[in-house]
Amino acid sequence: MTTRYSQAQERVSEYSQLSAWSTARRADRWRVLYGAAVAVLVLVSYALGALHWLPRDPEAMDLQAMLLGPIEQGYLLGTDFMGRDILTRLILGIQAYFLPGLLSIAIALTLGALLGVLAGYRGGRAEMGVTYLSNLVDSMPRLVLMLLVIAAFKPGIYTIMAVVGLTTAPTVATLVKGKVLMLKARNFIESAVALGVPPRAIVFRHILWYNCRTLLLIQATLGMAEAVLIETSLSYLGFGVQEPTPSWGNMVQAGANYLLQGNLWVSSAPALAILATVLGFHLLGDGLNNMFEGGQRR
Amino acid sequence: MIPGRSKIAALAAVGRVLARELAATAALLVGVSLTVFAILALAPGDPVAALLGGNLPAGAERDAVYEALNIPKTWYGQYLSWVGNLLHGDFGNSLRTGQPVAQEIVASGLRTLFLTVGALFVTLAVAVPIAVYGALRPDSRRVAVLTMAVYVVSALPVFWLGYIVIFVFSRQFGIFPILSASGGEGQMVWLYALLPLLLLGLASGTLSEAVRHLREEVARVLNEEYVRTARAKGASVWRHAYKEALVLPVAEIVASKIPFVLGGAIIVEQVFNWPGLGRLAWQAAQDRDFPVIMGIAMAAALVVRLASFAHRAVYVAVNPRASHE
Repeated sequence: MTTRYSQAQERVSEYSQLSAWSTARRADRWRVLYGAAVAVLVLVSYALGALHWLPRDPEAMDLQAMLLGPIEQGYLLGTDFMGRDILTRLILGIQAYFLPGLLSIAIALTLGALLGVLAGYRGGRAEMGVTYLSNLVDSMPRLVLMLLVIAAFKPGIYTIMAVVGLTTAPTVATLVKGKVLMLKARNFIESAVALGVPPRAIVFRHILWYNCRTLLLIQATLGMAEAVLIETSLSYLGFGVQEPTPSWGNMVQAGANYLLQGNLWVSSAPALAILATVLGFHLLGDGLNNMFEGGQRR
Repeated sequence: MIPGRSKIAALAAVGRVLARELAATAALLVGVSLTVFAILALAPGDPVAALLGGNLPAGAERDAVYEALNIPKTWYGQYLSWVGNLLHGDFGNSLRTGQPVAQEIVASGLRTLFLTVGALFVTLAVAVPIAVYGALRPDSRRVAVLTMAVYVVSALPVFWLGYIVIFVFSRQFGIFPILSASGGEGQMVWLYALLPLLLLGLASGTLSEAVRHLREEVARVLNEEYVRTARAKGASVWRHAYKEALVLPVAEIVASKIPFVLGGAIIVEQVFNWPGLGRLAWQAAQDRDFPVIMGIAMAAALVVRLASFAHRAVYVAVNPRASHE
C-alpha cells in the first residue's frame, strides 16, 4: 500500500517537474526558444571574438569599399564609412558589454539574494533597510546617476557596470524578500526548523537554491538586457567604449551622420543587433517568468 | 455611529498616512543628497586646489585658504552648508558658465518636464487600449500580434530610431528643422516639439511594462467577486471596476516610470538637440561641472519622490482601507 502511494507521489512530482514546459502557453515557448537562441548566439560570438577567430581584421580599412551594403564585394554585412567590415565589428562589439554585464549581474544577484533573504527571514530592521535602499535607488534616474559617477571618476566600463549591479541589487532583494515571505508560511520550512536543520542550510539550500534559482535566472537574463542598453547608450553618448574599439553604441553614433545623408545601413546594422539582443533577453526573461513564476510582476 | 464623526476619523487616518509618507519622502531625499555628496566627495582632485591652479599650500596656510573662501573644513560641515544652500534655492554657480545653477535647472527643467509628461501621456494613450483589449480577449491572435509589436518597439534603441525619424521627416517630407537648438524659424515648429515626445513615449522601454502591468491588473480585477456580482445583477462592470483596474495601476505606472522616462529623456534630448536637463547633464558630465550635475540629480530625485507621494495620495484616496494598515 505504502509503496503504491509513494510511487504515485513520485509520479506526481515527475509531472510537476515536466509541467513548466509542457503546460506553458505556446507564446511563452516561442519566447523562451527565441531568447535562448539569442543568448547562445551572443555567447558563441563572444567566444569567437575573445579567441580572435574573426571573419576579417576589425581595424583594416578598405578605402576602395566604403559604405557598402550587405553582401556587396564579398562583405557579408557591408562596410562602414572607413571601409571596415561591419560583421567583424559587430562580433567584437559584444566584448564591450558581455563581461562587464556579467559582472553587474553577479553583483546584483549575490548582493540582492543575501539582502533579500536577510530581510525576508529576519524581518524587522533588515526589512526596513532593504525597503529604504530600494526606494533610494528608485529615486534617481539610473542614467543621471551614471552621469554623476562619470563626472566624478571618469570610470571605465567595468566600474560603470559594477555601479549598475549595485543599483540593481535592491530590486532583486525586494523580489527575493517577497518569495521568502511566501515560503516561510509553508510547511517545509517549519519542518526543517523542527528537524533541526541548521539555518544556513535552510537559507542557502532550501530557500535560495531550490526555490529562488529560477527567479534569479530570470533576473540575470533581464540584467543582461539592461547591460546591453546601458553600455550602448553610454557609448552612444560618448562616455562608454571609445573608437576605434567597436561597441554597438558608438557604431550607431559614428554612422549617424551618414544616416542623415541617406546611407541607412551603417548605423542600422548595429541598431538591429541591439534590437535583436535586447528583445531576446527580454523575451527569455518574460517567458521563463510566465512558465515558472506564474507571470508575477518582476 | 454618527456619520459625520466617522468621516472625520477617516480623514484623520488619511492625514496620518500622508504625514508618514511625507516623512518617508524627506528621509529618502536626505539619503539621495548624502549619496550624491558622497560620490562627488570621493572624486579624485580637490576643487579648491583646481581653483588655485593646482598648487594648494599645506597645513595652516591651507586652512587659511579655506577660511578665506568661507569653506567648512570637515566633510559634514561641507555637506550641511551645501544642503543649507539647496534649501534656500542656492544650487551654486556652474563651473563652466559661472551662471547660477538654479536658473539653468529651472529653465531647462521645464522643457524636460514638458517632454516627460507628454511622453507619459503618449505611453498611456497607447498602453491603456491595448491592455484593456488584451485583458478582455486574452487568446485572440490580434492581441498576440499587438503584444509582440509592443515588445519590439520597446527594445528599439531610442538613439537610432530618433535619427531614422529625423531622416524620414527632413529628407522625405522636407518639413523638419534638423537639429536646430531652439525651435528654428521654419513652419511646423509644433512638429519639432511633438516628435521627441512621441519617440520618448513609445520607445523608451516603458511601453511594454505599462501594457503588461495594466493588462494583469485589468484581468485580475475583472475576475474579482464584486465585479462578478455587478455583472450578475446587470450593473455596469466598468463603473465598479475602473478605480481598482485602471486608476490605481495608471497612477502606479506614472509614479514608478518617471525615473525611466527622465533617463530616456537624456538620450532623446541628445538626438534632437532639445535644450533640456538631459543635455545639461550630458554637458556637465563632459566638463566635470559638479554643481550642475549635483543640482540635476537632486532636482530629478525631488520630481521622482513627489510623483511617488502623489501616487500614495491617490492610492489612499481611492482605497480608504489602506489608511488603516
